[in-house]
Amino acid sequence: MALPAAGPGVAVACEVHDLSHRYGRRTGLEPVSFALQGPGVAAVTGPNGVGKSTLLRILAGLLRPQRGASALSVAGRPIGPSERRCWVGYASPELSFYDELSSEENLRFAAETRGLAEPGAAAGAALARVGLASRAADRVAALSSGMKQRLRLAFALLHRPPVLLLDEPGSHMDEEGRVMLAGVVDRERRTGLVLIATNEEREWRLAEQRIELRGRGLGHPA
Amino acid sequence: MPSNGSSSGAAVWAILRKECRSEWRTRYGLNAALLFAITTLTSVSFAVGRLTDRTDMLSALLWVVLLFAALASLSHAFVREVEGHTLTLLRLVASPTAIALGKLLFNLLFLAVIEAVTVPLYLALMGAPPPRWGAFLALLGLGSLALACATTLVGAVISQTRGRGALFAGVSLPLLLPILAASVSGTRAQWLGGAIGPEARLLAAYAAALLAVSLVLYDHVWED
Amino acid sequence: MIARASLFVWITAWMVAAFVWAPLVPVLGETTRVLYFHIPAAWVTVLALAWSMGHSALYLKRRSMEHDHQAAAAAEIGILFCVAATVSGSLWAKAMWGAYWNWDPRETSIFFMMLIYAAYLALRSAIDQEERRARLSAVYSAIAFVSVPFLMFVVPRIYYSLHPDPIINPRGKVDMDPRIRIVFLAMLVGFTGLFFWLQSLRVRVARIEHRRGEP
Repeated sequence: MALPAAGPGVAVACEVHDLSHRYGRRTGLEPVSFALQGPGVAAVTGPNGVGKSTLLRILAGLLRPQRGASALSVAGRPIGPSERRCWVGYASPELSFYDELSSEENLRFAAETRGLAEPGAAAGAALARVGLASRAADRVAALSSGMKQRLRLAFALLHRPPVLLLDEPGSHMDEEGRVMLAGVVDRERRTGLVLIATNEEREWRLAEQRIELRGRGLGHPA
Repeated sequence: MPSNGSSSGAAVWAILRKECRSEWRTRYGLNAALLFAITTLTSVSFAVGRLTDRTDMLSALLWVVLLFAALASLSHAFVREVEGHTLTLLRLVASPTAIALGKLLFNLLFLAVIEAVTVPLYLALMGAPPPRWGAFLALLGLGSLALACATTLVGAVISQTRGRGALFAGVSLPLLLPILAASVSGTRAQWLGGAIGPEARLLAAYAAALLAVSLVLYDHVWED
Repeated sequence: MIARASLFVWITAWMVAAFVWAPLVPVLGETTRVLYFHIPAAWVTVLALAWSMGHSALYLKRRSMEHDHQAAAAAEIGILFCVAATVSGSLWAKAMWGAYWNWDPRETSIFFMMLIYAAYLALRSAIDQEERRARLSAVYSAIAFVSVPFLMFVVPRIYYSLHPDPIINPRGKVDMDPRIRIVFLAMLVGFTGLFFWLQSLRVRVARIEHRRGEP
């Protein structure tokens, strides 16, 4: 499989058409359609329960939508749902790590499993980017929630993907963390597509485009 | 840099090592399983006593003890992922097939450790005649392989439901009965000096069928 | 309405015929009558299992909830007939050979089918989300399908040799008197009709529940 050069500006196209998902009786995501182009950064906003996380999970290939489909292509090559994990960096609040392993071990495991050429180096680099290098050897169980959030970001960046899906990336972070996050987003927007799902103004202000989800969502039974 | 699918072997190996490392760090899984196996064995030995020449009972009870040990312990490989919420992480770094094979190999290793402790103890406690080691180990190996194939898939399915231990045992049982029958029959045959060909072939065929079908099915096990 | 009524009349008529018209099989004596009930029940058990497993496979391929409705309904009806077949067979065994259960190959097979049905239904009852329930029970159905040939044919033969039994099984091996054959086939048809009728009812309920959004 030919990989696009990890240089400046990989063309990314993300399109969803009438995408919706139901969790049993309740609607998780009302039908939504949009088209995004990268490189760049976009934000998905909307009230709690409207389906931002559901949308990101579908785009990451973790959730099979009930109706409709999502299309993602990198440098013109379409990426099916089962391949998304290779091309997408995903971070969300419900992403958890192995408590009994250290941050470095967790990322190293992720890098080895993904088949990266130098797993140790990749793990170290990712940790350094998010400012966790000093806590690399600490077990995840010992990390604070802010640090765990940084670890999630590191995990998403680990394999240097052309698409980043970040669900509430700034939650639990202190001011320093948010500055780091802004820096990361600023760098990544030049080489690929970044999609941030958020309610926080200072997070969606980082974006150039904004998709606002309306609809009843999980708060109201269908 | 995105990875490609041809590193599946590396992925399976990485998952296996991670499982072993996690198990070693926490160890409650293996401890509990060994304790359970020994408890079952002790109960049987206490209740039945020595069975020196009853090869039919010896082979049956051996496999019942092993079956119980497997049912009590093999679901926890997936339950641990679900309870630790690490399944998302795993699904993002590896294909369903790689996850399945990694867990399968781990379960096989786990079973091997339990058997390494339980089987010699069983033979000694129950006063069993010395087995024909080649045939005996072949049956043990093939039976364990089939056992692991079936229980890994069922474990993956059950870990996503409300049910846990009892449901795992009940749902696995129909799949495990052919293994039980063939293993018991074969183990008895090797003690009586007969050939184990038919039983070994059955176990191998069954394990192969289970493995082939389950590898196709794993793509459908995790979709939400 | 007409179909229901004719099914009722059909089964009733042939059941009466089983008592007054068809002769007895010499070796079975009065217990001959059971074969008009027991074997069709066992046949429906197998039919329902095949129906359920087939629709499970179709669900995985096409992801239409209709297949899940069919699979689940067939399993629920199948286990009913399985219990009926097992109980009637057991009573017959008692009458014929003096023991309620012998683990002979046929008894073993029907018991295995009951285990598969029970496991499938137990699994379904442990999942609340509709789509997940459909998908995971279909996965289980598919793997259970692998075990069926081993359970039905190979294991009974091995088990049988472990526990040799001098009992001769006359069922199905008897040269059937034409009248017996007619009643038997008629009951087979009647039971099959019964299955499809119950199946259609259960599927309709499932569709309504699905539309109303109930889990």
